[in-house]
Amino acid sequence: MSARTNRLYVIGFVALLFGMSVLLLLLPKKSFSETENRLLQGLPELSWEAIKDKEFSKDAESYVTDHFPWRDKWVALKSEAEQLRLQQENNGIYKDKDGYLFEKFEEPAWEKVASYAEAVRKFAESHSDAKISFLLAPTSVGLYPERLPWLASSYSEEKVNDFIGSIVSESGTDSGTGSRSVSFLNGFDFLKPAAGEDLYYRTDHHWTTRGAYLAYAAFARSMGWSVKPESDFDIRTVTDSFLGSFHTKSQFSGAKPDTIEQYVPKKPAASEMTVADDGTKMEGLYAESYLSKKDKYSYFLGGVHALSEIRTELAPEDVSLDKLLVVKDSYAHSVLPFLALHVPDIHVIDIRYYNGSIADYMAENDIENVLLLFNTATFVSTPELLKLNN
Amino acid sequence: MVFSSLLFLFVFLPAVLLLYFASPRRLKNLVLFLTSLVFYAWGEPVYIAIMLLSTVTDYGFGLLLDNPKRPRLTRKWIVASSVVVNLSLLSFFKYADFLIGNVNSLLGTDIPPTDLPLPIGISFYTFQSMSYIVDVYRGTARAQRNWIDFGAFVALFPQLVAGPIVQYGSVAEQLKDRKVTVELFAEGVRRFTVGLAKKVLLANNIGLLWDGISGSSLDTLPALTAWLGIVAFAFQIYFDFSGYSDMAIGLGHMFGFRFNENFNKPYGAQSITDFWRRWHISLGTWFRDYVYIPLGGNRRGLKRQLLNILIVWLLTGFWHGASWNFVLWGLYFGIVLMLEKMWLLSWLRNVPGTVRHLYALAAILIGWVFFAFDRMPEMGTFFRALFGMNGHGLWNDETLYLAYTNAILLAVLAVASVPIAGRIAGSGLARLWRRSGAMQLVWHGVLFLLSIAYLVDATFNPFLYFRF
Repeated sequence: MSARTNRLYVIGFVALLFGMSVLLLLLPKKSFSETENRLLQGLPELSWEAIKDKEFSKDAESYVTDHFPWRDKWVALKSEAEQLRLQQENNGIYKDKDGYLFEKFEEPAWEKVASYAEAVRKFAESHSDAKISFLLAPTSVGLYPERLPWLASSYSEEKVNDFIGSIVSESGTDSGTGSRSVSFLNGFDFLKPAAGEDLYYRTDHHWTTRGAYLAYAAFARSMGWSVKPESDFDIRTVTDSFLGSFHTKSQFSGAKPDTIEQYVPKKPAASEMTVADDGTKMEGLYAESYLSKKDKYSYFLGGVHALSEIRTELAPEDVSLDKLLVVKDSYAHSVLPFLALHVPDIHVIDIRYYNGSIADYMAENDIENVLLLFNTATFVSTPELLKLNN
Repeated sequence: MVFSSLLFLFVFLPAVLLLYFASPRRLKNLVLFLTSLVFYAWGEPVYIAIMLLSTVTDYGFGLLLDNPKRPRLTRKWIVASSVVVNLSLLSFFKYADFLIGNVNSLLGTDIPPTDLPLPIGISFYTFQSMSYIVDVYRGTARAQRNWIDFGAFVALFPQLVAGPIVQYGSVAEQLKDRKVTVELFAEGVRRFTVGLAKKVLLANNIGLLWDGISGSSLDTLPALTAWLGIVAFAFQIYFDFSGYSDMAIGLGHMFGFRFNENFNKPYGAQSITDFWRRWHISLGTWFRDYVYIPLGGNRRGLKRQLLNILIVWLLTGFWHGASWNFVLWGLYFGIVLMLEKMWLLSWLRNVPGTVRHLYALAAILIGWVFFAFDRMPEMGTFFRALFGMNGHGLWNDETLYLAYTNAILLAVLAVASVPIAGRIAGSGLARLWRRSGAMQLVWHGVLFLLSIAYLVDATFNPFLYFRF
C-alpha cells in the first residue's frame, strides 16, 4: 500500500466520522417522523438517576439513530442491497412481480387466539339482549397467498378465521337463558367472489374503499337492511400518490403509488364526528389535510381515536337503526361512512386505546347493536380484546 | 456500548480520537483509561465498580510481587489471592445462579436466585488481570508501577468487552512507548471496516436465517432445513465474533497498539486439534499457558495428558456460559481431541485433504448444536431433525425458499471463511489487487457505507458475545 493511499484512508475515515458527527449535531431536528409515523426521541436529559437506570444511554442511542442524517436514504440503500442479493422480503414485507406488497402472516399462538375469541363469545353472552355482529376480514396476504414470491410461505388466514368463527359461534351452554350467539361474518365469504378486483392497496395494509364497500354490503344484508347499490354513489379519486405502510416498512424501490377513492353518495347526508379523546369536532367523515401528508389513509375519519361519535342527519325513511356501537381496528375507518347512511348515531371505540368498561358504555348510551370489525392480523395480536368484558 | 452502533461510530469514536491526538504524550494513557471507563459505564454504570475492584487489587498484588526478596511461599500466596479475588468475582456474577438452580432442583430446596445481570466483559478482564499477576510471578513481565498505564491495560476499550484476551507481556512495552504512524492508522481503518462489515452485513443477516429456523417448530423440521440452520449459526457466530476481534485489533492500531490475532480461518481446519489452534486463539493460548502447561501438559505421560485435555476443555466450555450445554460442548470437544490424540490424527494423515476438511466441518457443526441450545429437550429435538429421525423428510418448500433467498449470502460467507485467498494469492488478479490502492479504497468505502445503511435500518443488532 503506497503512502499516498494510506493517507487517503486516514483522511477519508476521519472526514467521514467527523463530517457525519458534525451534521448530526448541526442539522435541524424533527420531532416527528412522517415516514415512520411516530415521535422521534428528544434530546436525552442528563441526571444521575437516568444514568444509573441506563435510561440515559438508551435514549442517547435512539436519539442518534432517530436523527441520523439522511435516515430515509440509508434505509432505502439497505432495501436495494437486500433485493440485489435475491432476498425476497425486507423487514417482513414481500413483493410480488407486479409490485404488490404483502406482509407475511405467521402462524398465530393458538391459545391466545382462542382466548380472544372466547372473549368475543362471552361478550355476546353477557349482552344477550343486544345483537352482536363480528366481521373478521383477511389482510391482503390472506386473500392472495398464491401471489407471494416463489416458494415463500405465509400461514393461512382462512384457517385462522374458521377457527375463530367456530369459537364465537358456539351457542351458549344453556339454551334456556336465551343467550344469542354472535352473528359471525367471515371476510373470505364476501371478498373471495370479487378477488379479481383491487380490494387492497398495493403498498398499504388496509383495504380499498371497494373492499370496504363489500364489507358494508355484507353487514347490511346480515342486518336485513337494503344495501345501497354502487350506482347510488359517485366514485371519485381523491389522491393517486398514496405510498402506504408496506412501502414504508420495506422501502422497496420503484413501488407504484396507490389511488384512494371516495364513494360520494348521490343523496348527500351531513355527518359530524366528535372525538371524545380531545373533544374536537369534525365536519364530515373525511380529513382533507391528510391527503398532503404521508399517512393518507387517515383521510378516513382523520385516523385512530380511542372513542368517537358520528352523528348524521338522515331522513326518517333512510334510518335502518337508531344506534350502533362499532368496536374496531382501522379497517373500519373506510366502512363507517357507508354505515352512517343507515344509522344516525354511531359510537366508535378502538379497544386498543379505550380503557373504560364497554358494558357500562352500552348501558349509559342505550346501545343494543354492536359491530366488532377487525382484520385477522390485528385480531390475533390484540390482547386488549380481553378488555371486552371489563 | 458496542462498536457496531451509530453512537459509537459517530459520537464516541470521533470524541476519543480528538482527545487522544490533541493530548500530549504523557496524558495519552490517561485519556484511554478515562474514555474506556465511559465506554464501560455506558452499558454498566454500576458494575464499573467491579471492574475497578479487580483492577485495583491486581495492581496492588503486582506491586507486592515486585519485590524479589520476598520468600517464594509468600509470592505464591499473593498469586493465589489474586486468583481467588478474580475467580470469586467471576463465579459470583456468572455462576451463582447456575449453582443455585442446580442445588434447588437436586435437593428440592428453594434458595432464591440472585438474578443479577452479568457484568459486561467480566470473563475477559478477570482473565486478563490474572495473566498479569502470573506473568509477574513467573518473571516474564515486570510489575507495572504506573497505575494509569495498568488501568489502561485492563480497561482498554477496544478489547474490554469481547477480547482478544491480551496477555500483559505482549503489550507491556507498547503501554510505555508506541507510535501511531499513518501506515498503522490506515491499517487500523481497513481492519476495523472489514470487522464492521463482517458483523453488520454478514453475521446479522445470516443470523436472521438461524433465528427463523430455530424459532420455528423444531419437531417438524426437515433434515436439510436443520442443516441449513446450523450452518447459518456457524457462520453467524464466526463472523460475529471474528468481526468483533477485527474491529478491536483495528481500533488498537488507531491508538498505536498491536494485539495478537484471535482467528485464523477456523473453518479451513483439517481436524479439531487444528480448529482450536485457529478459533479464539487468545482464549486457547490463555488456557494453554495458565492451565494446561502448569498441570503438566504432555510431559507426564499419555494418561495424564488426556486428563489435562479433559480438564482444560471442561473449563473452556464452562467459561462460555453458565449452563449445562456449554459444559457438554466443552466435554464433546475434549473427547474428540482425546480421540484425535490417540489415533484419529494418525489415521487422518492418510486420507485426502478434502476428507479431512469435511470431517472437521462435520465435527464443528455438531459442536455448534451443543452450543446453540441451552435447553436439553430442544437440543435433542434438533439432533433428531438433523439426522432425519422425526419423519419430516429431507426438505420442503420452505427449505428451498430459504436456500435460494440466502444463496448469495451463503456463497459470500463460504468464500470468506476458508483460506481460498491464500491459494489464489499468487495469481495475477491478487497482484493487481494488492497494487491497486484505489480499488481497495473503493472496496472498503463501499463496505463502510453499506454497513451504515444496515445499521440505520436495523433494530436487529444483538451482540452475541455479551453473554460471556
